[in-house]
Amino acid sequence: MVKKYFRNIYLSFLVHVFDIPPRFLAFLMLIIFLLLPITGLTESILIMLITANLFAIYGASWDLLVGRTGQISLGHALFFGIGGYTTALLYVNLQLEPWASVSIAALIGFLVAGVIGFPCLRVKGPYLALVTMAFPLIMMGLVYYFKDITGGEYGISGIPRFFPFLGYFQQRLAEYYFTLVLMLISSIIIYKIANSKTGIVFVSILDDELASKASGINVTKYKIMAFAISGLFTSLAGAAYAHIFRSVSASSFTLSMSFIPVIMTIFGGIGTIYGPISAAYILQVLDRYVLSVRIPVSTEWRNIIYAAIVIILILKWPRGIARIVVDKLEDIEEARPVEIVYKKMKKKEESSGGSINAPS
Amino acid sequence: MHLLEVENLMKSFGGLTAVKNVSFTVDEGEMIGIIGPNGAGKTTLFNLITGYLKADSGTIKFRGEKITRLPPHKIANKGLARTFQIVRPFRHLPTIANIMVALNSPRGKKKIEWIKTPERKAMEMLEDVGLSEMMLEPAENLSHGDLKRLEIARALALEPDLLLLDEPFGGLSPIETEYMVKSIQRMHLDGHTIVIVEHKLHALMRLVKRVIVMHNGEKIAEGTPEEIAKNDTVIEVYLGKGI
Repeated sequence: MVKKYFRNIYLSFLVHVFDIPPRFLAFLMLIIFLLLPITGLTESILIMLITANLFAIYGASWDLLVGRTGQISLGHALFFGIGGYTTALLYVNLQLEPWASVSIAALIGFLVAGVIGFPCLRVKGPYLALVTMAFPLIMMGLVYYFKDITGGEYGISGIPRFFPFLGYFQQRLAEYYFTLVLMLISSIIIYKIANSKTGIVFVSILDDELASKASGINVTKYKIMAFAISGLFTSLAGAAYAHIFRSVSASSFTLSMSFIPVIMTIFGGIGTIYGPISAAYILQVLDRYVLSVRIPVSTEWRNIIYAAIVIILILKWPRGIARIVVDKLEDIEEARPVEIVYKKMKKKEESSGGSINAPS
Repeated sequence: MHLLEVENLMKSFGGLTAVKNVSFTVDEGEMIGIIGPNGAGKTTLFNLITGYLKADSGTIKFRGEKITRLPPHKIANKGLARTFQIVRPFRHLPTIANIMVALNSPRGKKKIEWIKTPERKAMEMLEDVGLSEMMLEPAENLSHGDLKRLEIARALALEPDLLLLDEPFGGLSPIETEYMVKSIQRMHLDGHTIVIVEHKLHALMRLVKRVIVMHNGEKIAEGTPEEIAKNDTVIEVYLGKGI
């Protein structure tokens, strides 16, 4: 019985993962990410990967809203920052455990995004982008104004870690695995939503709002839903980020914070969900490892080189790097792992003389 | 009780009155046509009925219920589906997913027979309009004629009580027009009530039993196709005054 169950899992793995090159690639990457710490990484690289994990959630949730629903938001830092501040304030005032405060922060992000989505959806396209851009700036003003609660420009520091009972390096390691699992769960949920029936309706709104309405779709409801889901995962990432770096400050509401998911999504491929996720790792490694550890350059030069590389790659592949790779993989029939195994088996059979389709 | 009742409908854009005091009724099982020269206000009339534009005055009743100020999606869910003059497919979605959008609306969901999955129903709808081969093709790869049919299939997915077709023959070749006439006839035989706005009089006159003629926002004539063809005002509007 148990044997049959495992056999079924193995067979469905063969059909659903092993036989589809992009999925197999993702699976391979997952294995690599799980085994990476064994190779003896330094702490700074671990922190880089943790950041990439959280930014992957951030990018994927932005892509669900913008790439799939077509509601351009240039103010996603609002939800990221709200996540951080919520968890920080919950710790300072109520001494809540990180687990509890992070979940509450995600919920608050969900609600705030829903409420903000409502007035935002009166405007469309570039106007929506401008309106959303204003919200984090307003929030930054509020943070400065209510100094007693938010700590003003110094922010709040001393937020507890996720695993305070572990040793110093073990903590980083545990945080790495924790954020990796968080990223996996979030991105699978976002991917599933994007490819569900609700996701189809999202894309219909992106393509043609009027026709969507003619098909009896309550467009406002779906837009708010997209905003809220996106806000939930962004807040989740923001809250976890605050616990990793142990502080929040008003700088999380800056424009550059809002543009992080934009760059990742356009770089990886807009509307793909897997695009921003892979871009999060590529860009983090490029920025924090290649241009600072491998080829050490000064910070100013690093920014310029980094921006130049990103711009050149986007110009070269405007549809996104991840999408190009996946399209290429899907085109090559021989790349299907099962096909390769099958061909090898056939060759063996032929050489041994016992071919099934012997030429007549 | 009439299925659709339009009474003294008025709509003006700035100084231009696009629809002036138009009243007409549609009964269950009917197929009627609305014709008129360019700028006569036919499409505006459609947009008013389906809630895309708000009427200045007048009432629209559907099954005796006032729908004048309802938003478009609520009107669609009441069973009043429409197509667009210029095709509006969901270009990024596969053809079958275009239908799935309509099947995801409250009315679309309700109208799926318990024995079918939405996917099954969408496949059948595509088969009905002869698009089943293009099922997984993104809608942007479809030809104009295919898109016209997809548009109708998407409207039919709501199982509407009244179907408003805005220029279903627009931009179609003679063969495609013939095919479209056949499929509209079949839809009518299936029991659909249909209102068609059209320029191609030749195709339209064969289809419908009753025609409404509009000119400069006003209804100038109503009757059977034969009556309309002999009507002096209509001839004047289309061809100009006789000498």
